[in-house]
Amino acid sequence: MQLSSVYLFEIGSQKAQWLSARQTAIAANVANANTPAYHAVDIQPFSAVLDSSPIELATTNPAHLSLPQSEAGALREVDVDPTEQTLSGNTVNIEQQMINLGDVNRDYTMNSDIRRVFHQLLLSALK
Amino acid sequence: MQDSLQTALRIAASGLQAQSTRLRIVSQNIANAQSTGSMPGADPYSRQTVSFESEMDRTLGANVVNVKSIGVDSSPFKLEHDPGNPAADEGGMVKMPNVDVLTELADMREANRSYEANLQVAKQSADMLNTTISLMKDA
Repeated sequence: MQLSSVYLFEIGSQKAQWLSARQTAIAANVANANTPAYHAVDIQPFSAVLDSSPIELATTNPAHLSLPQSEAGALREVDVDPTEQTLSGNTVNIEQQMINLGDVNRDYTMNSDIRRVFHQLLLSALK
Repeated sequence: MQDSLQTALRIAASGLQAQSTRLRIVSQNIANAQSTGSMPGADPYSRQTVSFESEMDRTLGANVVNVKSIGVDSSPFKLEHDPGNPAADEGGMVKMPNVDVLTELADMREANRSYEANLQVAKQSADMLNTTISLMKDA
């Protein structure tokens, strides 16, 4: 078995990045749960991030500004049932946000555990 | 670009701050629910309101929440008949604050709930950071 053909660490760090970005979106939603006219946001699903291969601008001069690595953190508004919208025009459903928060936390733990196990696997080959 | 998890922590902190300001206003309103004026016919305490706004934090690159304004509720005062009160006018009527304790309590519950939600986000973000750090342990 060739471990190098399994891009596990690559995918693992991409997933961790994506989960962190999602956590930021959830934090923004929860913080703005009582802000008038605020619309709940989320980021695009991880499968979409994996499928897309964003073209990045090459930084050939020190004066070039570096753009965020990928579109992983791009926010988009969530479609919400109009009946869920409060009188002040806020569309954050705090229960849904708490569920998302749990999902993110669980996935993050699993992701880092898998990476740890793989790392130990590689180390055991060295011993 | 800053670490997303730390950004999440900062956003949650802004939420905690906003909600605690709201709680402060609520407690101020409840404490002053019976505060009349000191002169005959004087206006009593006016209920204060707080409103939030979502603001783009440039250094963070994310939407944090801020207290937009602390306003004064302009609804009319309640009139009570109490000739013994120093604030009573010639007819013995006293202007009472336009604070409805029930409304304030409902507001307090909502602020409490939002505060807890923000706290949960902060805790989980810190947990996730620790998970990453613990990858370096016993490797």
